[in-house]
Amino acid sequence: MDISYIIVFGLYVVFLAWTSWKSSQQVESLSDFTTGGHRMGLLLGVGTSVATWVSVASVMGVPGFLYRTGIAAIIGWVAGWFLATAIMPILAYKVRRPEMPARTFPEFIRMRYEPFQKVSYLQLIVAVLMFVGYFIFSHLQVVGFGIVFSTITGIPYEWAIFGFLVFLIMTCTGGFWSVAATDTVNAILILVGLAFGLWAVLTATGGIGNILDAVAVTTAPVNVGGPPMKAGIMLTPEGSFGWGALMAIFMANAMGASVSPHWIARFMAPKNTKAAVLQMMWTVIVLIPIFICLIIIGLGAKALLPSLPAGKTTDYIMPLIVQQYAPPLVGAMTLIAIMAASVSTANSMLLHCGTSIYYDIYRALFPNREINEAKATNHLRISVFLLGIVAVLSAIKPPMLLAMGFTYVYGAFGAAFMWPVWFGLFWKRMNRSGAYAGIVIGTVGFIAARVMNATNPFVVGAALSLVAVLIAVFATSAPPKESYEAYFEPEASESTKEVARRIQQESDEKAKEKLALAPGK
Amino acid sequence: MAIALSFWGGSILFVIVVALILCKKIEDSGVKRWGATGSLFSYEKKEA
Repeated sequence: MDISYIIVFGLYVVFLAWTSWKSSQQVESLSDFTTGGHRMGLLLGVGTSVATWVSVASVMGVPGFLYRTGIAAIIGWVAGWFLATAIMPILAYKVRRPEMPARTFPEFIRMRYEPFQKVSYLQLIVAVLMFVGYFIFSHLQVVGFGIVFSTITGIPYEWAIFGFLVFLIMTCTGGFWSVAATDTVNAILILVGLAFGLWAVLTATGGIGNILDAVAVTTAPVNVGGPPMKAGIMLTPEGSFGWGALMAIFMANAMGASVSPHWIARFMAPKNTKAAVLQMMWTVIVLIPIFICLIIIGLGAKALLPSLPAGKTTDYIMPLIVQQYAPPLVGAMTLIAIMAASVSTANSMLLHCGTSIYYDIYRALFPNREINEAKATNHLRISVFLLGIVAVLSAIKPPMLLAMGFTYVYGAFGAAFMWPVWFGLFWKRMNRSGAYAGIVIGTVGFIAARVMNATNPFVVGAALSLVAVLIAVFATSAPPKESYEAYFEPEASESTKEVARRIQQESDEKAKEKLALAPGK
Repeated sequence: MAIALSFWGGSILFVIVVALILCKKIEDSGVKRWGATGSLFSYEKKEA
């Protein structure tokens, strides 16, 4: 391993440890641990949102799919995810309105649909779905981490993935604030690292013109010895997917990602509604240069290395290109940036997994148990770490490509949560029965369509979910005003505030003070 | 290439327009708790 890699890696670890230690000083309550106490400013909000977006699925998966299919990946993944982020301000505008916002996505569902239930089974169902989805996300990040860490160190992939646990120990000490702080550092590192990677690829290829000329005529197979590509297919908008499959990927990424629980939770963290809206707008703007780098690197890789060695997936293209064509210091910066992307996203996903188990599932099953604040935060940390260990073990034999794994989970989240979230925020008549019907039918519909190899399982699931929601809503009575008022009125009634207070006081005494101190209009 | 980039560019324009409309709505509402400050892009009043 080159000395540049050791130096850059060492500096990154020290920096990560320092930010984790600093941010761990800020943890005060369970509310802080899960959503940063709803007091996050714009800079940190944008940093953490960018770093969460830029995961291994984007940093390694997008160049991998550009290498595999050409510019179709821009429509399927880049435009899909950008459209998701473009829709997010509309949701953030509503989610962050209440005086006492929910602290997790399942709690949001409970407050909107089952505010009077002592045990919310809807919260439980959502938490279980979230747990499964985020576990898959975390698993994919660990796979990405392993690929890069083994490329940098030469350690076999099966051992390299265990290095992830070291980073997890550092960042799970401070919960949401630690993840947010390290995310912001990672976002800067990713931007700088990818800029270096872009420079290396442009230098090696001789510029964008040469890259486009090369990919326009290439017939080189993805892997050495594989079937040759059709000449010119890499520059067609639908690539080797066909429009039907490409639109399925685009829609699953756009609609599914926009209602993903981790994004709804991100909208709860900012100081106020406008900060939540601006956070997503600036996130998109910051993401533009990052994705320009990824697109050029992905296409440039095809010009530089027409076929991958047999047995390597396209997820390896980024580290292989960087190692072969970038000077050592530049290569180190770029690969550490990719590792930063996997660490930051995995931390965030594991935090969501941990909170869904501890905060939503445990509390829903044992509503009468007293929860000690300090004890709860420590239990949550232990849950996150144990989940990290399982994610590492599951990554020993990765079953799917990184970007495609994300698309499956986003498709499932979209089919299950799209109508309960959108209707819940914009339609007062949306009620508890509609939410149950939408979530259950959407999930089952998506899985069934996927198993039957439907072209667009997201559309099948979302369409079935919509029908189920409408039937259930109109067949049952309107919801109580306490369930929707906070999302529609500037000033909620006392009874609505009482509901929010009761739900949140169950585990967090600080919530009481927050409501009493919250500024009015 | 142009088709692929127009999907992407369209999303970017959309978020800017949507965010501006929503910030305007917050300002029009005058609700300080939502971030109405008198300035479209500012979400909190700076302390004097």
